Amino acid sequence: MSVIPLEGHWASESLGEGHVVFNAEGIHCGNCARSIRKTLGELEGVRRVDVNVVNNRVSVDWDTSKLALGRILGQVSALGFKPVPLVGEAAAQAQQMERRLALKRIGLATLGSTQLMMYTVALYAGALQGIDERIAEYLRWTCLVITTPVLFYSGAPILRGALADLRRRVLGMDVTVSLALLLAFFASSWNTLRHSGEVYFDSVAMFILLLLIGRFVEMRGRHQAAQVTDALAKALPTMAQRIRSDDGVVERVPLAELRIGDLLRVNTGQVIPVDGTLACDSALIDEALLSGEPLPQRHVRHDAIPGGALNAGSALTVRVSRLPGESTLHELVRLLERAQSERPRLGLAAERMASWFVVRIVLLTVLVGVVWQLIDPSRAFPAMLAVLVATCPCALSLATPAAIAAASSRLAKLGVLVMRADAVEGLATVDTVMLDKTGTLTLGSPRITRIDTADGWDATEALRIAAALEAGSQHPLALAFREHQHASWRCEDAREIAGEGIEGTVDGQRWRIGQPGITLTDDRGRHASFEVTDPLREDAIDATAALSALGLRLVLLSGDRHEAVQRVAETLGITSAHAGLKPTDKLQRLRAAQAAGRRVLMLGDGINDGPVLAAANVSMAMGRGSSIAHAAGDLLLLRESLQSLPEAIRVARRTLQIVQQNLRWALIYNLAAVPVAALGFMPPWVAAIGMSASSLLVVMNARRAGALPAGGSVP
Amino acid sequence: MMASMMLLIPLSLLMLGAAVWAFFWAVDKGQFEDLEQPSRLALEEDQPPNADATTDPPPHS
Repeated sequence: MSVIPLEGHWASESLGEGHVVFNAEGIHCGNCARSIRKTLGELEGVRRVDVNVVNNRVSVDWDTSKLALGRILGQVSALGFKPVPLVGEAAAQAQQMERRLALKRIGLATLGSTQLMMYTVALYAGALQGIDERIAEYLRWTCLVITTPVLFYSGAPILRGALADLRRRVLGMDVTVSLALLLAFFASSWNTLRHSGEVYFDSVAMFILLLLIGRFVEMRGRHQAAQVTDALAKALPTMAQRIRSDDGVVERVPLAELRIGDLLRVNTGQVIPVDGTLACDSALIDEALLSGEPLPQRHVRHDAIPGGALNAGSALTVRVSRLPGESTLHELVRLLERAQSERPRLGLAAERMASWFVVRIVLLTVLVGVVWQLIDPSRAFPAMLAVLVATCPCALSLATPAAIAAASSRLAKLGVLVMRADAVEGLATVDTVMLDKTGTLTLGSPRITRIDTADGWDATEALRIAAALEAGSQHPLALAFREHQHASWRCEDAREIAGEGIEGTVDGQRWRIGQPGITLTDDRGRHASFEVTDPLREDAIDATAALSALGLRLVLLSGDRHEAVQRVAETLGITSAHAGLKPTDKLQRLRAAQAAGRRVLMLGDGINDGPVLAAANVSMAMGRGSSIAHAAGDLLLLRESLQSLPEAIRVARRTLQIVQQNLRWALIYNLAAVPVAALGFMPPWVAAIGMSASSLLVVMNARRAGALPAGGSVP
Repeated sequence: MMASMMLLIPLSLLMLGAAVWAFFWAVDKGQFEDLEQPSRLALEEDQPPNADATTDPPPHS
């Protein structure tokens, strides 16, 4: 058993609960995943195990008081898999190693099989036209010499996979492939030794080459999917420039030494290392990595700045508001890792189908062998080989996970993060979209849009008095006044009268703010009225129109007043709008729609809508800035743009289409190939090409899910 | 006939070995790591920006 170095970044721990995500090299199929889940699940203290076949990720939650991380990693390596840390240098190096080794294996198999093909042509020609038996034997020996390294070096991952499967007493697809390879190789070697009979060396080498190409394409897809998280994780610098509070000298310190309240300097073009608030007057911040928002945004003093954003303007100072381990970026990486280690339900179905196939293929092969033995013993072996090779359910196992992985990285580019593996399937099949208003269709931050003052009274003064009165209020509209608060205007005895407004003394004067509308009045009759609105997002109209065009029914659910909801609904052309709903009412509406057979996507701000989001068939939360960590949703919209939503649905529909295409193709191919191979019409090399081409086709087709053509329409 | 085969086939095996060795060497040297960037490198006008923070000018505070 290999000893794994235990470093801080392997795992995170809070309140006795540990969480770790790592890559386990060597996972090829559902059976590998199942054995890891089973073995780890039996350890005392393990609470949750998830294994993803597509990106080889294992995610474990465990009780740190009962179990050490070393035991978990040790168990995984005892099963024959190599645990590799996900983030940082080691993960990148492991990926590079994997890529280089795969390239070498493909290179040897390519050179070997082209060479073998030439000798085989000579042998075939000789068989037809007559050949000196000594030369034929010489050629067969040469083939044996070339095929040996191709089988045992290039084919090593396949053989090793089969061995691991057998050790765990399961039948994976590596088993049938290895059985075919070894049977063909040793039968050919035996025939070479005894100077008679057919040799299949060229088929062996070609089969290995084609299998390796399929796996290489699949590996590239997996590495690309991992890049999204890795890019996030690598974005954070390890050092920060801290401004010492006593003498203002700038010193470079590791992130771990930062404390809340520290003042940091961030130079132009550098990454802001932790979540903080802006401590200089203004700054230009590029959050492309976090939200996909392409343009840098202007921020002013006291604005919250997420760690991982880039300083696109001049040097700035920022005050640390959260410790590095708790920052937005870390939370995001953790959530994403968890999501990526989950197995989609769609993939599970395909996996089960594949292992069902393997058992039957082996039985069928034996049957074919027995029958041919009775009819014509010389044709029994090639027929068995052809059945074994042609029917390998590789394409079936690859069909779904590859497409989901490609779609996830495509969605990430749209600013939509897939937090739950089933979300892509869910998104593709919804027919109703329920929208929350405040914070979803609108910006969620009420603003004062107009101030009317009587008798030429100064609007600024009125605003400051109002802000002082509203300072202690929890009313949502009070938020609009918050940014206008001024230190020299204080309210001493603010008193909230429910449904009426607020009364208090400001600057020695009694004031009242409240009904009708929002009006500020004093005893002498001076008054000012404020208009507060929560503006619609700029692209809300385009986005809702695009959703309707996709054939989705839109429903607006809001807790807000009737008039406000009606106005928004009319602007957006939504016919079904419900106002004044409490969270339980929203849940009821959702359940009613589901009971009527509708599949619902709920779009909400992710914080207040928690239960409704959880009940929907699939949910998308608006995750912005520091709220990301609390957001509950299958998908997370990181961009301040609703336009990503229709686009994401298009990607999801397309992905589901591709998955179904793939499954159908794999099934048709396998069912068609079996009788042809069993009847002996298919030489082993044709079977090898057919099976591998089928897998390759499926994987390549899956990668289409990652690319949306210009125009992006889906039938 | 047999004599020429005796010579040529081992020769082809040697060449195969040489080709495999050359390919493995190229992979180890990272020749296939990035097939996109290097082709454009000659057209770049500026030096790539230095990401290392230590070379930043000292702050003015």
